[in-house]
Amino acid sequence: MENAPAIRNEGGRGSRVRLAWVALALLVIYPFFPFLDLAVELVTGESLRLDRQIVSIAIFAVLALALNLQVGYAGLLQLGIAAFFAIGAYTTGILTVAKYPFQLELWGALAAAPFVAGFAGLALGAPTLRLRGDYLAIVTLGFAEVVRVLLINLEGITDGPRGLNPIPEPWLPAWLRSAVDVSADAQRVRFLAVYFLAVGSVVALYITFRTLERSKLGRSFVALREDELASACMGVNPTRTKLIAFAAGAAIAGYAGALYACNLTTTAEPNTYDFNYSVMVLCCIIIGGLGSVRGAILGAAVLLGFDNVLSPLVTKLLQRATTSDSSNVLYSFSNWRWLIFGTALVLIMRFRPKGLWPSERVAADLREDES
Amino acid sequence: MALLELENVSASYGSIEALCNIDLHVEAGEIVTLIGANGAGKTTTLMTTSGILRAKSGRIRFDGKDLIGVPAHEVVGLGLAHSPEGRRIFSRMTVLENLELGAFGRSDKEGIQKDINRVFELFPILGERRHQAGGTLSGGEQQMLALGRAMASRPKLLLLDEPSLGLAPLFVHRIFEVIRELNREGVTVLLVEQNARMALKLAHRGYVLETGRITLTDTGENLLKNERVQSAYLGE
Ligand SMILES: Nc1ncnc2c1ncn2[C@@H]1O[C@H](COP(=O)(O)OP(=O)(O)OP(=O)(O)O)[C@@H](O)[C@H]1O
Ligand SMILES: [Mg+2]
Repeated sequence: MENAPAIRNEGGRGSRVRLAWVALALLVIYPFFPFLDLAVELVTGESLRLDRQIVSIAIFAVLALALNLQVGYAGLLQLGIAAFFAIGAYTTGILTVAKYPFQLELWGALAAAPFVAGFAGLALGAPTLRLRGDYLAIVTLGFAEVVRVLLINLEGITDGPRGLNPIPEPWLPAWLRSAVDVSADAQRVRFLAVYFLAVGSVVALYITFRTLERSKLGRSFVALREDELASACMGVNPTRTKLIAFAAGAAIAGYAGALYACNLTTTAEPNTYDFNYSVMVLCCIIIGGLGSVRGAILGAAVLLGFDNVLSPLVTKLLQRATTSDSSNVLYSFSNWRWLIFGTALVLIMRFRPKGLWPSERVAADLREDES
Repeated sequence: MALLELENVSASYGSIEALCNIDLHVEAGEIVTLIGANGAGKTTTLMTTSGILRAKSGRIRFDGKDLIGVPAHEVVGLGLAHSPEGRRIFSRMTVLENLELGAFGRSDKEGIQKDINRVFELFPILGERRHQAGGTLSGGEQQMLALGRAMASRPKLLLLDEPSLGLAPLFVHRIFEVIRELNREGVTVLLVEQNARMALKLAHRGYVLETGRITLTDTGENLLKNERVQSAYLGE
């Protein structure tokens, strides 16, 4: 009898059916979160802000999925994802704010941002993707710094540290508006639009990427990562395949940037999109498992869950327990953030190098390693 | 006209000259073997032919087309499959996925299925392991997979770089048998082998490569009888 576990053919019907159920469940459940939160708020007078956290996580997950396409699938060490995120956000800003003549609807900006960021990815990738991994890392890192500094210094265009704002509300059909506007809160309408968009995007991207994994292009990513020479012998065009991954990843990051800006109603200040931000996204796909779609989403949830939920909570508790001396490092838990991220990363690399929730392919060779 | 023709081909790695004015041709339907000591330039010859390395000078013609400047991934589509040295199978992909990748440039689903079934017929063990990750196969099975993967593109010409490397005699025999079988079905083969005796027995013709130059060429039979070949490559 075969005792070889190896890889089940993931293209099987079972996984497709399961996937459909997950997608369906998400679609059915997610409209209720905002109302759930609203209900809690109405009853207790205090908001969990559950919906808000989910939006942040979803936007971050979109960004993580973009980076996963570049780093996880195509094996391109990209250290400047924040630049494409910023390009998406600023495209949205320029296309919507009152300062500029375009004043497109949010929807227009959402459609345009991926193109602008994708084009930037193409322009950066075309001449540099032939470079070996470590050089590419340096090029992307440099590019991200250039973008950030330009955003700071081109004040006439970007409004410098103030950021472009306010980004207007999205257009919604009147019946939807009135149906949704239960609390007579205008912000609520915008928020709901962003909420549905962000969570819907994660679901759509999840399905897209899972389909991609089974496609010819998806296979050629795996092949290329394993052995470039052998892939070329099989007819895979290495440069083109990498460029597709890089540009598509950049476009999705730009889309995430557009979502981000319309969620915040501002592009935020240029320094938001710094090297740390790129590293955060990288951390989150490494923690989740490089090349794993579900891992990237989990990673985003873990990192932002820590930042937005656990950290404020613990801070509150600490402040209650200690004297209110704000010079005490214990005073704010978020001071420990990088220490904890770093430690978590080291621990994961040591004990679970393939991530918390690796893809089937990687998980299969994890089992071999153990046996 | 020869199916493959190398004329005055030179190639180098930086300043290291690896091939020096190679002339070589393979007729349709032949098995031709390239023998030589370690570092003679056998692998380099195949890599230059399939476009992984760029020839410094000379002409390479395949099936009436000029191959100089054609990148490796396009060469496959012309009907020239290169199975590189050292197996290089995709270890995280299943056996079946490896074979499907071999047929990457093809779109005739039925034809691909037929050719993959043919590989399973020739190497039944691969059929049994079709859903197993390539990396979990034994060395010999991996060699079979590498050969099968190259067949999956349904090539006119197969470039095989040491397909029996590191295999036990039983496996070596099986691989050679399959090469003969494929050749009977009309596939032309250019074979690089350390196992010179078996290669020369199998091949119609052979070339001897010494430090980047072709020093001898004859029929396989005659090369087996050649004293220089016997002392240098057959260990007699
Ligand atoms: N990537 C490389 N960079 C520099 N020199 C190389 C490279 N690859 C091969 N060479 C050199 O080119 C020459 C020919 O190498 P090649 O690999 O073609 O030999 P070979 O005949 O296939 O040997 P073997 O039987 O050991 O496989 C050798 O002297 C080798 O050192
Ligand atoms: Mg060699």
